[in-house]
Amino acid sequence: MSTVLEQIEQQIAKLSTKGVKKNTGNIRTVADGVAKIDGLSDVMYNEMVQFPAGAIGIALNLEEDEVGCVILGDIANLKEGDEVTTTGRLLSVPVGKALLGRTVDALGNPVDGKGPIEAKEFYPVERIAPGVVVRKSVSQALFTGIMAIDSMIPIGRGQRELIIGDRGTGKTTITIDTIINQARINKVGLASGDPKFRPVYSIYVAVGQKNSNIARTITALEEAGALEFTTIVAAPAADNPANLYIAPYSGAAMGEWFMENGMDALIVYDDLSKHAVAYRQISLILKRPSGREAYPGDVFYLHSRLLERAARLDGKGSLTALPIIETLAGDVSAYISTNVISITDGQIFLETDLFNQGIRPAISVGLSVSRVGSAAQIKATKQVGGKLKGELAQFRELAAFAQFGSDLDAKTKAQLDRGNRIVELFKQPAFSPLPIELQVAVLFAMQKGFFDPVDIRKVVAAATSLKSFFTTRKDALLVEIRTKAALDADLEAKLQAACEEWKSSFAA
Amino acid sequence: MASHAKIAEHLARQLFKLSVVDGAVSAEQVGGVLAYVEKHRPANPVMVLKAYHRLVAAELAKGEAVVEHAGAVSDAMLAAIATAMSRQYGRPVVATAKPSAALLAGLRVRVGDDVYESSIAGQLAALALSV
Repeated sequence: MSTVLEQIEQQIAKLSTKGVKKNTGNIRTVADGVAKIDGLSDVMYNEMVQFPAGAIGIALNLEEDEVGCVILGDIANLKEGDEVTTTGRLLSVPVGKALLGRTVDALGNPVDGKGPIEAKEFYPVERIAPGVVVRKSVSQALFTGIMAIDSMIPIGRGQRELIIGDRGTGKTTITIDTIINQARINKVGLASGDPKFRPVYSIYVAVGQKNSNIARTITALEEAGALEFTTIVAAPAADNPANLYIAPYSGAAMGEWFMENGMDALIVYDDLSKHAVAYRQISLILKRPSGREAYPGDVFYLHSRLLERAARLDGKGSLTALPIIETLAGDVSAYISTNVISITDGQIFLETDLFNQGIRPAISVGLSVSRVGSAAQIKATKQVGGKLKGELAQFRELAAFAQFGSDLDAKTKAQLDRGNRIVELFKQPAFSPLPIELQVAVLFAMQKGFFDPVDIRKVVAAATSLKSFFTTRKDALLVEIRTKAALDADLEAKLQAACEEWKSSFAA
Repeated sequence: MASHAKIAEHLARQLFKLSVVDGAVSAEQVGGVLAYVEKHRPANPVMVLKAYHRLVAAELAKGEAVVEHAGAVSDAMLAAIATAMSRQYGRPVVATAKPSAALLAGLRVRVGDDVYESSIAGQLAALALSV
């Protein structure tokens, strides 16, 4: 009891010191999460300001005799004439491992009902991205567990890879698969006791999504055992636009903590189209001049300063970013899409037509690219899948010609046949990422023609059978592929023998 | 096209600049401005005068230290506050007392946008925010 009294006395002693100076202003208008304030003559750009009833704001517009602020929190109780004070601080959010397994709002407050978050550190939401000197080139793979991506559009730690496509084409599913795959790799790596193993922690930022969708994502991660390595930053559609605007920056701050402390993190921004819309709404209310599609002039900077914060740091960790952009009718040349395409290190383009044909993930190989390329691939994948992208591109070209119904020579028919098999092989159900060693085994079988005798309609079943054969009966071989990360003559012979064994059992 | 509010704001700012002589609001100039508005009747005169009032009030507040107090405040204390504030801001500041029981105890001095808080009510408010 005496400790409690001492705490109160200490607090009183702290408060009983000299007077404090505050800079104040008064609300002139409040509308749609934005307040215009008279006064606040000392306020700084991006400074946090205190509104009555605990709401906070960020000063975004500093004008001659008024200040425009976005309000974070409940605006229902604010009215004209209310006093606002400066705080002298930038908006900060809690960071650290205490956030793993938790769902927080844009300010880092828990919203999952699991109690308070015991965070020891806070990072400012807005930070200058790492400079050129401290950066290191991307050369370590980050496996998504999706065979089509890991073999043809590899992603490295510290890379920014855009996922773009129409609604309902599986953009979120790809990112959830990636998060689940990181969790699976983390579990295997941590259980192995390898001191060199570096786990990847994930942050999923939901911007402007329905609460039901966020709940579904949380459930999917929980069921896959990935939530313990993941933080979810939720700014649902019902939140005020200021929260939607700030949420990706909050998530980036949480990811930066891992990067700064020598760890690797993955951040998903789902999605930046809605983020741009929220910023447009704020800007229009702040009466900033509007440009193309009514977006403000600094909408490029909005996303470039966010995505530049993803990096691989020399002597420290990395932050990999997977931003999502939703297109309308497959139009990648829209304003926000082209902006983000030019900022990122590549894009994975998902096509509605492919999705409707049952090719899932519906990745358009022709329009997708990873500018980091094979630098972020392990040697084994390069050995078995190095030529896949070219083969698929050739297949698409030939398939277009074949539609005219002209007679085809044997070589062209063989190429078409092989292309069809590759397409079938890359079909993968949602939330079931494949370990890289298993991908190598399947691609090896493909490369060596083990799927050639199989009827095209049965390729998926054959691939499933091969995967289960390897996981149940050739676990040691898979471990060897994983540890060596390259195929030498000995390993190739073992793989060949294993595939022969599977072939006889599958045919039988 | 600029909105009515923007045009009114702009005119009010011009009128305000005319009202300031040697860094201080001149009563004579303000009288002249009011007479001008009365005579020429600009568009949206109420909007213009409200904006003008806000600008003049903000300027006048910079030269006045409003000392809110819960207990008694002597003339000597007011004079000391006026001297300290004049030195702080580098311009003449006049102190005026304003009793406020809501402070519970202590003082709150307001000069323009700046508030110097040394009251129990202020400390309790800070405590409430930190909990």
